[in-house]
Amino acid sequence: MTLLAWSGWRIERRSGRSSFALVSALLSAGAGAVLCCALLFLAAGADPIAAFAALAKGSFGSTRAIADTLVRATPLILTGLATAIAFRARLWNIGAEGQVFAGAMFAFWCQSAIGAAPAYLQIPVIVLGSLCGGALFGALAGALKARFQVDEVIATVMLNYIIIYALSLLLQQGPWTEPGGFFEQTAMVPDQAKLPILIEKTRLHLGFVLALVLAAILHVVLHHSPLGYEIRAAGSNLRALQVQGVHAGRLILVVFALSGAIAGLAGAFEVYGVQYRLKSGTLGGLGYTGIIIAILGQLSPRAVVIAGLLFGALLNGSTLMQIRTGVPSALIYAIEAIILMFFLIAWAISQFRLRRLRDVD
Amino acid sequence: MWTDLLEAGIIVSVLAAAIRIATPILFTALGELVAERAGIYNMGLEGMMLMGAFAGWLGTYHSGSALVGIGAAVLAGLVMSLLFAFMVITLQIEQIVTGLALNLLASGLSTFWLRSAFSDVNKVPGISILQNAPIPLLADIPYLGAVLFDQRVVTYAALLAVPAVWLFLYRSRLGLEIRCIGENPKALDIKGHSVALRQYAAVLFGGAMAGLGGACLTVAATAHFVPDMVNGRGWLALVIVIAGGWSPGRVLAAALIFSFLDALQLQIQGVGIQIPYQLLLAMPYVAAILALMLRRKAGRAPTMLGMSYRRE
Amino acid sequence: MTARLSISNLSKRFGPVIANDGVSLEIRPGELHCLLGENGAGKSTLSSCLYGLYQPDQGRIVIDGEERRFRSPADAIRASIGMVHQHFVLVPTFTVLENIVVGTGAGWRLDTRAARRRVSELCQRNGLQLNLDALVGDLSVGEQQWVEIVKALYLGARVLILDEPTAVLTPQESERLFTLLQQMTADGLSIILITHKMNEVMRSDRVTVLRRGRVVGTVETGSITREELTQMMIGRQLKQIEAEDRAGSGAPAVVTISAVSLRDARRVAVLDNLSLELRAGEVLGLAGVAGNGQRELFEAIAGVRRTERGEIRLDGKSVANLSAADIARRGVGYVPEDRFRDGLVPDLTIAENIVLGQQWQAPWRRGVLLDAARMREHAARSIADFSIATTGPGERIRRLSGGNAQKVILARELAKATRCLLCNQPTRGLDVGVIEYVHGQILRKRQDGVAILLASEELEDLMRLSDRIAVIFRGRIMGILPRHSASIALLGQMMAGTPLEQAA
Repeated sequence: MTLLAWSGWRIERRSGRSSFALVSALLSAGAGAVLCCALLFLAAGADPIAAFAALAKGSFGSTRAIADTLVRATPLILTGLATAIAFRARLWNIGAEGQVFAGAMFAFWCQSAIGAAPAYLQIPVIVLGSLCGGALFGALAGALKARFQVDEVIATVMLNYIIIYALSLLLQQGPWTEPGGFFEQTAMVPDQAKLPILIEKTRLHLGFVLALVLAAILHVVLHHSPLGYEIRAAGSNLRALQVQGVHAGRLILVVFALSGAIAGLAGAFEVYGVQYRLKSGTLGGLGYTGIIIAILGQLSPRAVVIAGLLFGALLNGSTLMQIRTGVPSALIYAIEAIILMFFLIAWAISQFRLRRLRDVD
Repeated sequence: MWTDLLEAGIIVSVLAAAIRIATPILFTALGELVAERAGIYNMGLEGMMLMGAFAGWLGTYHSGSALVGIGAAVLAGLVMSLLFAFMVITLQIEQIVTGLALNLLASGLSTFWLRSAFSDVNKVPGISILQNAPIPLLADIPYLGAVLFDQRVVTYAALLAVPAVWLFLYRSRLGLEIRCIGENPKALDIKGHSVALRQYAAVLFGGAMAGLGGACLTVAATAHFVPDMVNGRGWLALVIVIAGGWSPGRVLAAALIFSFLDALQLQIQGVGIQIPYQLLLAMPYVAAILALMLRRKAGRAPTMLGMSYRRE
Repeated sequence: MTARLSISNLSKRFGPVIANDGVSLEIRPGELHCLLGENGAGKSTLSSCLYGLYQPDQGRIVIDGEERRFRSPADAIRASIGMVHQHFVLVPTFTVLENIVVGTGAGWRLDTRAARRRVSELCQRNGLQLNLDALVGDLSVGEQQWVEIVKALYLGARVLILDEPTAVLTPQESERLFTLLQQMTADGLSIILITHKMNEVMRSDRVTVLRRGRVVGTVETGSITREELTQMMIGRQLKQIEAEDRAGSGAPAVVTISAVSLRDARRVAVLDNLSLELRAGEVLGLAGVAGNGQRELFEAIAGVRRTERGEIRLDGKSVANLSAADIARRGVGYVPEDRFRDGLVPDLTIAENIVLGQQWQAPWRRGVLLDAARMREHAARSIADFSIATTGPGERIRRLSGGNAQKVILARELAKATRCLLCNQPTRGLDVGVIEYVHGQILRKRQDGVAILLASEELEDLMRLSDRIAVIFRGRIMGILPRHSASIALLGQMMAGTPLEQAA
């Protein structure tokens, strides 16, 4: 296809993609994003170099800072994986946001039921509970699509809003309200339900390792299992699978449940690994950031881990940046989106090439 | 207390509120209707409305004039949709992904801008909002006058935009071309016309309308800008276009049904009926899912909706 | 006489592929000029260059003595060139009039009154009866083609390019089309007819033969025979495969279709009380204009689509509760009509596509995971057996040509087809060499005693390969003929809806 043409030159779509194009796309996206951020720092009246330095120090400056970066990255890796696995099948699950809530809520419900049971029981209950909660809530969106042909983007966005109100209801006037508390949150969870800390004097918890293990498992599932085969095939041409007798509705349901389960885990890890109580505010935004991470990671589990770590660092460093330079940490959300935009544009442009025409006689 | 809702005065005020509340969504949905008729699925509406709301508020705050604010909002919508159009039409990036990216960008940028301009969260200034402009004589008609003719200027504009969009789509040359692109862009392409140019126009129109819709949330409704204040209205506009079967008249009907629900829940809270407010607030989202489940008969989506056109 | 259109030394390449190589050609006013060539000979590329859809790398186009350069179809239209595409470019939800006027005229207002007058005039002049307010989606295929022609005339075409215009018409509709074309050339219009059908070529004034992107020659049609033209087109003598005759028809039925009915989303009957029998070792040809229920019939047998009434039995057992995968496992192979839409996953590799649908089955599994080595090995064998041109089993389907992609489907489906083989348009759009190969494979399966259902738009192919030919029209079988009592004229009548008993 010709995109633009002027005397003697033409921009055309490449037939294939070169790895050179990918690398240059990534580099130019990175450079563009850094430049854009520098401008935003200037606009906020801060010295860009000092701001970047504070950002780096905040995220990697000490063992504690690095551990915190990994803690921040954990839920992002999980929501990134959840989104990636669904997008791979061309199922636009925007609902990781809500599925995080569902996982946290279901895990909390299950864990409350066993109360003060010993730790070796608590952890499996929390993990399984969150997987089930996320899977059920994900499957709800999947069922709406498979059974009623409801557009999954809209369905998942609506469910995201609905579950936030549901949690708020349970926390404010419901059975989960902290006795005598003023904020919308539950009481602290019992000590034996807290996820084990991996390195002393840091907050790095078991969840991080589990997230990495899950990424490895998903990589194998996606590339070497029959289910992964169907997911990849569905992403390219669902119709051809149906002609071969694959039940499309069932596959949609399975993918949504799988995706939801992974996101649900992120919710439980935040509650039992970081906050030690269930509250609304800290769970918000994880799912939406996961979409960015999935796309930056090219929907591949390995790259999603890397993108998740990068974003964990950004989030973690932003606190120090705000203290040192006064730049509002809200900037991070703008930066995340800017990185995504630059990446999308650079990636798209790398599909085109400039070609010299032979003289038209 | 439930019987209070049946008093004439209450009914009139609920209906008037429904029409007022419909304004932002109606603008946005009408713009999106045109874009979708040209085959472009703009999932960045939420972000475009948000930038519109922010620019409208900031513009009004700095100039003191609502007109400048609305102009700034339209401009913000245009800029956002130009970026969107470039990405999905010229670069042919997936429409859903691009829309989501724009939502995140709008959310991040507006919050950052607000925080850096007004670092104290509690001292964000308010603006003076548009007042009702009753239409002489018509506003005096009992009941009907209060419902229809005692509204803000933007509401009249939104209602007038319905027939205007209809006339454009069905009675203008460009409207026919845009409908053609949504069904079979090649049919226009092989007649030697640029499909991309017309899609740009449709998307920019959609963006301007979303900016306008966003402005209504600040300039015509609340004096303050709050981060993420659009709160799903952009998504509801998308639902309304689908539930309205891609036709202007039915989009109006769908918008009114949604805003009526919203007005009703406000009134229910107002007369002091004890229902947890979370249930009331979640209602439109539940209704949206139900509407999409039952949509079947509403109409047929443009064949090429969401697919980018590339001449093979 | 000066030429209306002359092309000299035109070349166009796509990457390493040279689609047109120094093509020169002249079209006279009022002539019906045929462009003849196999698929891939460069006919479509040439017409796209003429219509401004591609820009040639080299060469000049002169119209009425003036050199033109086409950057877009707009330039071509301005030079009064019109084109009717093989796949119609119409909006089914628009009326005939809207389809014709969209993208024409000036100003903001949509002025249909003046347009209606001009369109009516054009129809009248060419003797076409079109209801301008009918929705195009409700018209027959033949009528849709008229709309396409009027569209081009409305834009002021003096040179009209028709790309494979009869592929979807009944023989009778083609006849009408040629009458119309002759009328138009008598009116001074120049027509370029792109085709690969010999009997159509013989009705033109002159013919230019293309082979591998080059012009083999331009000749007066009156001075050459079909055989000579065929030789020019493919560069060698055509060896046509023909099924040997079989005595009797006592073979047992493998698939029995009894009184099957099916309606589409708009509740219109697409299969209407249809009955057929596919017998072991027999090719049953299915003739019919596209869209008369062929696809639905194939999908119903393959289990992709559920029937509403009636019953389909495979080896005596009802398939009502079986999924497409179950049916495939019982020995049914299905080669779908639209290979890239229904048959292949473009982003997966050849190795993965060859086991499509069998991903859970034992041979391709090692424990819970897929056995990649085994799949590659199997694919490598298929690539060799079917001589698929590719870099290896790991190549993505997206990068294969149509012919090679079809071979991947054949490799998969022929292996499955131990009882029954369903082929819907298996050779559409393929090169002559590949077509011969596909036909050979089908006949080999017949030899093995497999029951075969073969649908094709090429009636001549059907008459060579089938033991019996069934004709389908609006979801009903108009009749079944033994091969030797079939003729193009008879099949044509039946394809237009005349039952066998009433056809002359």
